[in-house]
Amino acid sequence: MIKHTARALLAVALLCAAGLATAEAPTRVASAKAGDCVACHKDATVLPAKHKATRDMDWAACSKCHEPGTGDSLAGKLPSSHMHALADVGCESCHGKTKKPRPASRTQCVTCHAIDKVVAATAEVKPENPHVSPHWGNEMECTACHVQHAKPVNYCAHCHDFDFKLP
Amino acid sequence: MSRDKVLPDKLERRRFLASAGAAVGVGVAGAALAPVRAVAATHVPRKWDDTVDVIVIGTGFAGLSAAVEARTAGAQVLVLEKMAVHGGNSIINGGDFAAAGTAEQAALGIQDTPDLMLADMLKAGGSLNHPDLARMVAYGSKDALEWTQQVIGAKYVRVNFHGGHSVKRSHQCVNGSGGELVNKLLAKAQSLGARIEMRTKVLRLVRGEDGRLEGLEVRRGYLFPNESSGEVAYIRARRGVVLASGGFSQDVRLRQVHDPRLVEKFESTNHPGATGEVLLAACQVGAMDVQMDWIQLGPWTSPDEPGFGQTPQFCERLVGYGLMVDPKSGKRFFKETGNRKERADAIIRLGHPAVIIGDAEAVARTVLPKTLEKAIEYGAVRKFETLDELARAYEMPVEAFREQVARWNGFVEKKKDDDLDCMIFKDATTTAKAPYYAARLWPRVHHTMGGLVIDRDARVIGFDFQPIAGLYACGEVAGGVHGAVRLGSVAMTDCVVFGRIAGRNAAQHVAAT
Repeated sequence: MIKHTARALLAVALLCAAGLATAEAPTRVASAKAGDCVACHKDATVLPAKHKATRDMDWAACSKCHEPGTGDSLAGKLPSSHMHALADVGCESCHGKTKKPRPASRTQCVTCHAIDKVVAATAEVKPENPHVSPHWGNEMECTACHVQHAKPVNYCAHCHDFDFKLP
Repeated sequence: MSRDKVLPDKLERRRFLASAGAAVGVGVAGAALAPVRAVAATHVPRKWDDTVDVIVIGTGFAGLSAAVEARTAGAQVLVLEKMAVHGGNSIINGGDFAAAGTAEQAALGIQDTPDLMLADMLKAGGSLNHPDLARMVAYGSKDALEWTQQVIGAKYVRVNFHGGHSVKRSHQCVNGSGGELVNKLLAKAQSLGARIEMRTKVLRLVRGEDGRLEGLEVRRGYLFPNESSGEVAYIRARRGVVLASGGFSQDVRLRQVHDPRLVEKFESTNHPGATGEVLLAACQVGAMDVQMDWIQLGPWTSPDEPGFGQTPQFCERLVGYGLMVDPKSGKRFFKETGNRKERADAIIRLGHPAVIIGDAEAVARTVLPKTLEKAIEYGAVRKFETLDELARAYEMPVEAFREQVARWNGFVEKKKDDDLDCMIFKDATTTAKAPYYAARLWPRVHHTMGGLVIDRDARVIGFDFQPIAGLYACGEVAGGVHGAVRLGSVAMTDCVVFGRIAGRNAAQHVAAT
């Protein structure tokens, strides 16, 4: 029963992710600073009430409180595209210079995230290393799970009870 | 999944071929008597965004086999995949390839012929199989397997048994996954220069004034399952379009149209994109469908893990070596080596999961160590030191179960099952050596036997009994090959045999001017 509920939740999460990516998504203001939430989100509450002003923050500044690898980490809480933007990896870095950006693919990801390092970094994850499988080897499309502009998806969970936490 | 909407009129004009007598091509058998009426042309775009020789839809065994052959035949090839990942169901399948009369079988002393494989397919299929198509698969199986080895480089390590086959003929990929073949097919297709375009979803097939399949309306940059993502584009195929988009096991709405019993609570082993929109798009331009209500449930999945999981490779290896019981009675209830449909139906009739059992000897002999290790780790297979302990764990009547094991062991010793006529293998031993392993079994929707009507050349046949010029189909999207039941491990064979034919024929189709 628990599994069924978890899968139903996953399905809902997928639908929400899909929704977020389109109609409900705020209009992106390309010129906005990465930490300037209201530039795009307007009045929507995206931060806790007493959060420090973020307008001039970059990823290093965020990480001072939200230390990666700890319970305070932003992994899974902030869309990865925001982490990228805060680390000065802007739209063009992945999508190129274009008026009509298309989804980026693994080819772009591995230019910064060398696959061998990624695989090594998750070697101890149980019950399986999420970055290498009998299906795709170490060549699975990154964005199948690491959705950038919406919530991440644990794609493996469709067929496996792998409780991966992912950014 | 929601269906695609018919698209609005950025398009030229509705062009119909309403007049009778504007026949296309040469009729298939029996068509001479049918009234010949050309199918309506569909909205033809004013401008195509892209033009290639051959478009292949799908990146599973069938699509990639078609791509390799079409490219080898000299055609420029574009392969479309709607998902973010390639491989469809093929890359999550168990990697067993049925072939008859192979060198691997000979080395193991297994006597097999294409005729025997065909007889098995027809028997399981209730002779609803289109016999010429089934024959192509059985007789083409050895050649197809060898092509995957010699041209593609796939490696197989053993020959397995699957329920419903007369002999062991399922050649297992080295890593126990269809990924072995899919990834090597993909690498081959790419090395030959085929272009692979991910996240492109087909919305509509476009037929021209002459009835020929001209191209596709697609959504590029599609983010599954967001139906409004990406942008509409039109891609023209000078020579042909190969549909290799798979079945519709995950399409609850479509499968319920054909089998209303298959409600949502019946989960599926398939990848999430196994929906039927391309099949329906083909029907919408006049392709005929066949046997859509023959939808297969796999009897070897476990309610203790999601999807396909590890259990099928535990259960299927054990049949013919171990026994399957109804935990309520502690007794066997159906022939373990029966075909998928018989066994799935029998378990559903029980109304609760069955239990398959193997002892240390049988499991060591048949189940890959890694499969066993994972299945235990994930909780789908459990290990017990005694049969009594096993019986208690599944709330079985201990005494009745013990008697049943003794009875089974008697059958194993004489290699003949007087109760249920299970096939017992020569090297099978009695279930007597600890530890004992067991898994619960509850069926999941696995394969849709029905699909588009094709001929021996993989040409799609329309409702006017004529082939639709320029349109080919192969793999699970095509119907008729398997009739009522697809036997385990024949899907790989079907996909490679007809994928290759479809690719070659699409490449050789008379180029449009």
